[in-house]
Amino acid sequence: MDDRPPPVPEPPGAGAPLAVVGLDKRYGGVHALRRAHMTVSAPGTVHGLIGENGSGKSTLLGILSGEKQPDWGQIYVDGAPVEFASPVNALRHGIAMVSQETALAPDLSIAENIFLGRRMVRAPWGIDWRRTRREATTVLARLQLDYDPRRLVGTLRPDQQQMVEIARALSLNARVLILDEPTSSLSDDEVAALFETIRGLKADGVSTIFVSHRLKEMFALVDEFTVLRNGATVATGPVAEFDEDSLIAAMVGDTKALTRPVVTSRPRPSGNAPTAMSVKGLTVPGVLEGVGVDVRAGEIVGLAGLEGAGRSELLEAIFGLRELGGGTIEVGGRAFAPRGPRDAIGRGVGYLPPDRKVQGVVLKRSVAENLTMVVTADTGRLRAPRDRDTREIVERVYDVLRIRAASPSALVSTLSGGNQQKVALGKWVAAEQQVLLLDEPTRGVDVGAKAEIHQLLRRAADRGLALLVSSSENDELLRLCDRIVVMYRGAVVASLDAEEATEPVLASYAGGHHE
Amino acid sequence: MSNGVQTAQDTGPAPEVGAAPVAAGPSRWSSAFAATRSFRPVLLLVIVLFVYFALTQSVFMTGQNLQNLLTGVSILWVVAMGMTFVIITGGVDLSVSALSVFVGLFLAKILDAGVPGGIAVLLAILVGALVGGLTNGLLIGRMKLSFFVVTLGTLTVFTGVVNLWANTKSFYITAPVVARLGVDDTLGVPTPIIIMVVTFLIGLYVQTRTYFGRDVYAVGGSLPAARLSGIRTSRTIVSVYAITGACAALGGIIATGRIGAATPQVDNTLALQAAAAVLLGGTSLFGGAGGVGGTALGVLFIGVLQNGLSIAGIQSFWQQVVTGVILIAAVLGDRISLGDLRLRRRAPGPEPAAAAPPAAPAP
Repeated sequence: MDDRPPPVPEPPGAGAPLAVVGLDKRYGGVHALRRAHMTVSAPGTVHGLIGENGSGKSTLLGILSGEKQPDWGQIYVDGAPVEFASPVNALRHGIAMVSQETALAPDLSIAENIFLGRRMVRAPWGIDWRRTRREATTVLARLQLDYDPRRLVGTLRPDQQQMVEIARALSLNARVLILDEPTSSLSDDEVAALFETIRGLKADGVSTIFVSHRLKEMFALVDEFTVLRNGATVATGPVAEFDEDSLIAAMVGDTKALTRPVVTSRPRPSGNAPTAMSVKGLTVPGVLEGVGVDVRAGEIVGLAGLEGAGRSELLEAIFGLRELGGGTIEVGGRAFAPRGPRDAIGRGVGYLPPDRKVQGVVLKRSVAENLTMVVTADTGRLRAPRDRDTREIVERVYDVLRIRAASPSALVSTLSGGNQQKVALGKWVAAEQQVLLLDEPTRGVDVGAKAEIHQLLRRAADRGLALLVSSSENDELLRLCDRIVVMYRGAVVASLDAEEATEPVLASYAGGHHE
Repeated sequence: MSNGVQTAQDTGPAPEVGAAPVAAGPSRWSSAFAATRSFRPVLLLVIVLFVYFALTQSVFMTGQNLQNLLTGVSILWVVAMGMTFVIITGGVDLSVSALSVFVGLFLAKILDAGVPGGIAVLLAILVGALVGGLTNGLLIGRMKLSFFVVTLGTLTVFTGVVNLWANTKSFYITAPVVARLGVDDTLGVPTPIIIMVVTFLIGLYVQTRTYFGRDVYAVGGSLPAARLSGIRTSRTIVSVYAITGACAALGGIIATGRIGAATPQVDNTLALQAAAAVLLGGTSLFGGAGGVGGTALGVLFIGVLQNGLSIAGIQSFWQQVVTGVILIAAVLGDRISLGDLRLRRRAPGPEPAAAAPPAAPAP
């Protein structure tokens, strides 16, 4: 309403590899972009794009990559006005998008994926596989990767798949690479490797538009920032003009916003709090080897480690999703060997899976139904669900988690990422589980929601719940946990109190470097 | 975006961050209306067709013709009701075509063996449910095989079994119970119509008023999320295939009643027509959304079209052509309204920027 259109800058000079001016886009009643502008000022620049969920970032990226068309506005490549009718069109101008959801064909080889959508190297009798592979290897070598180009993409870890996507973009001679939250599923080592790659590209004159919710890491990488809020560009400029506080203030639009998490030192759970869950010698062939973790009531224990170190697998094993090869799990002093989620739930264990949209919630169902899914899973199946039976539970969870939805009957798909995550968490709060296993509890949620979820977890612990939190962000664990257990190749290599843990210490253990 | 009127003394920006109170849900009626969203297009089509035939064909609006219209689609209706549940879980059951014939034969045999009529009918429905649940259900729900492969396989197997068992002969049925279900009246209304109403009401009840119904949607919406929430997902899937089995059986029983015999003719289009009716009714092929209300309209669409065309003396095969086209058009319309092919409205060059009010000095 009172959002005056920001002053529209002059069309950029020819030096800017990519710029947009006055972009406007509506979806029905939603005004997604309000004359937003952004300029990648020079070849090789790393441009950080930030904004909370719903600020118009995705729409802007969609327009830059040619997937969406703006209602108004202009795109400039090297200072010349262009129009992107489709992604192919954008690619032709050297703009390539590496999306959050990797767009690779899992059943094709790395080489085939790199050449996807184009012709592979031809020979008179068909495809010249040997040369195709050699060219793929060359592209991969530019990124210092030694993957076998014959390997199927589906067998790669997420970070490796992302690298293949970057390789594909490079093989298309992309001059501006758009990376949409590339680090959200990466471990610290992998992030470091990715940043090295981006710096390498920078030297080659390839610019990067880098989108991330992790502000800290962006300062280590980017040269300039653009901040979106409510679809408009609210701040833009070289990195030196910003610090973390001013960025958050720009994103949130309110300097008093309490999105800046205060690192509250929670009263440590007393040493004689009962052990809520005790895992001993847990073995899952090929994945976990004799893992032992204890979590006391009221304690938040973090699981640190690289992707593939066995963090997720440990949580899955405790929740009954993996066949155990040995070891014991005790919850509330009683041993049990879960054969499925229902066994674990019956023992008061809850599990927040890493993939919210597929595993955490049923998007097409209502908030209330999702929240009561666990509590009512054992009600007679032919009984009629009555809202009044569960209203109290829903209201309590709403209150505790501060879920923001139009109403409890709104579909979960209409909620923001952070609120969806609260719903995924809420069903375990509703069920009053005593032990919560959380895998990447804040993946893909914005800064504000992240702080809020951390606060909720702390309060849950204060109420006596035992929390085991796995995260690829050591920063998050340090902020949240009373104790951090570091895993490396399926085994526990360290257990550190909050005071003695620092990022370098965690990183060194996680990387398998024992001082 | 009105923030309400702030009172004079309330000067400072209110730190409104606390828990928003649980907003009262929309009224029952408005949410009921919202639930019709997915089948509004087919509802409109049925009304348009109905009015058109009523105005152009004098015979159309007679009571007798409307009865014929409904009894003509009674088998499809019953089978499609069951199919709805399977499709909501994200599957399709192709085997119902053969299963219904199999059950018809079974019924003829046990009636011939002297089993009393009512019990025979109940047994036949039970057999349909068991066969559907134990073959398709277990293979898809527990062994996690693809629904397409499994039901295509069982369709083929059942077809073979039917032909072997009947030795390509028809079995005439004299037991009155079968005629009673297939052609006679009950309470002055053809029994198939009563069966249609009853299956619909049961389907609607199960879908909206039971936890099982919720499971079906949850499993279709996201199987992993449902499983991780403690829902017995395998059991849910086995159950929906048992339900289609039972509905196929009921369809087979009506069919034997209408012909007065159990014939080993497997009509492969039955399953596909049922699936088409379900999808026309707005149920998503990807699962998780839709319902029997839409399915009823989907079947009615096929019925009205078939009936109207035959009255008009047009070859009834046109019904298939039109149904197919409408089905694709409906899905396409859905896709377009999602915005992929939105009309573009953008000016060339940076005119809009120039047209903007002169930029105020930045505050």
